[in-house]
Amino acid sequence: MRAGDILKAIVGIVAVLGAVIVGLLYFPVPKPHVELGAEQVCQIAGFPITNTLIASWITIVVLLAIFILGTRRMKMMPTGLQNVVEWIYESLYNFAEEAAGKENTPKFFPLFATIFLYVIGAAFISLIPGFDTIGDGAREHFTGAFAGSYTGWVVHEPLLRKASSDINFPLALALIAFASWTYWAIRMIGVRKYSRQFIKLENLGEGFKLMSRGDFKSAPMAFFMGGVDIFVGFLEFLSRCIQIVSLTFRLFGNMLAGAILLLIILYLIPWIGGVPFYGLEALFGFVQALIFAGLTLVFSVIATTAEHE
Amino acid sequence: MDIDAARMLGAGIAMIGAIGPGIGIGILGRGAMEAIGRNPEARGPIATNMILSIAFAEAVAIYCLIVAIILSMVAGS
Repeated sequence: MRAGDILKAIVGIVAVLGAVIVGLLYFPVPKPHVELGAEQVCQIAGFPITNTLIASWITIVVLLAIFILGTRRMKMMPTGLQNVVEWIYESLYNFAEEAAGKENTPKFFPLFATIFLYVIGAAFISLIPGFDTIGDGAREHFTGAFAGSYTGWVVHEPLLRKASSDINFPLALALIAFASWTYWAIRMIGVRKYSRQFIKLENLGEGFKLMSRGDFKSAPMAFFMGGVDIFVGFLEFLSRCIQIVSLTFRLFGNMLAGAILLLIILYLIPWIGGVPFYGLEALFGFVQALIFAGLTLVFSVIATTAEHE
Repeated sequence: MDIDAARMLGAGIAMIGAIGPGIGIGILGRGAMEAIGRNPEARGPIATNMILSIAFAEAVAIYCLIVAIILSMVAGS
C-alpha cells in the first residue's frame, strides 16, 4: 500500500466518523413507534380506512398517471416518457417470455406485470423522504438515542404507511393470483386433466384390473402404489394451497422488516446510518416484486401444463 | 417467570430458526459460484435462477422473523 492509499483510507474513516457524530448531535430522531397492524385513519360508511390503504391508492394513481401520460399520442420513434414506459414493458415481457414460453406469455403477462408494478410502486413510494411524517402531530421537544435534542415536528398519527407492510396487501394479491392460475388451468386443460394432477387413480385401477383377472400376486403391489399415489396427490394439492401463504408472508415479512429496520437504524445512527440501509430497502423492494410476480408466472405455467405431454 | 419476560425470551429463541435459511442460502451461493466458474458465459441465467431460489430459502427465515415480531410487539397486554 502506498502512502496515497493510506491517506485516502484515513480521510475516509475520519469523514464517516465525523458524519456519524454530526448526525448524533444535530439531527436526532424521535423514538420510533412500531406497530404490526395498520392504524385506522377514519371510517367510510362503516368500512375502516387504514393508512396503508391510502398509500396503496396513491400508488395506483401514480402508476395510472405514468402509464396513461406515457401512452398518449404515441409515436413510432418513442421519446421521453413513452420511451421509459416502453422500456419497462419490454423488459417485463422478455422476462415473462423466458419463464413462460412464447405461447403462454400473452395470457399470463398482464397479471404478472400488474403485480410487479404494483408491488414495486408501493415499495418505492414509501421511500420518498417525508412520506412517514405526513399526519397528525405536533411540534415537540425530543431527544435522540444517545445525544442531542431538537424541537421539531413529531407525527403521532401517520396518515400514510408503506402499503406492503400491511398483511392484507400481499394476501389480496396472492388470492387473486391463486384464483387466476386455477381458472386458467381449468380453461386451458379442462377440469379432468387438472384434477388428475392431484388425484392419480391409475394404479388403483391397475390393482382392480389385476384382481378381476385373478392375478393375486401383483395386485397388492398395485394397491400399495395406488395408496402412495393418493397420498402424494394430496400433498401436491396441499402444497399448491400453501403457495398462497408463502407468497403472502414472504412479501409481507420482507417489507415490514425493511420498514422497521430503517426506522430503528435511523433512530440509532441518524443522518448517515440511513444511507446504506436505504439502498438495501430499494434493492429489496425490487427483488421482492420480481420474486412475487415471477413466482405467480411460474405457478401459472406449472398449473396449466398437463402431465405426460 | 413474568409473562413479559417469557414473551421476550420466546422472541429471541424464535430467531434461532434463521440458522437454517442462512446455511441454505450459502449452499445455493456456492452452487452458483461453482457453475459460473465452470461456464462464465452462462452468468445471466445462473444468477437469475440463484436469486429465485434464494427467495424461496429466505421466506423461511422471514416466517421466524414474523413470529419474533408478533411475540415482542403485539401479543400480551
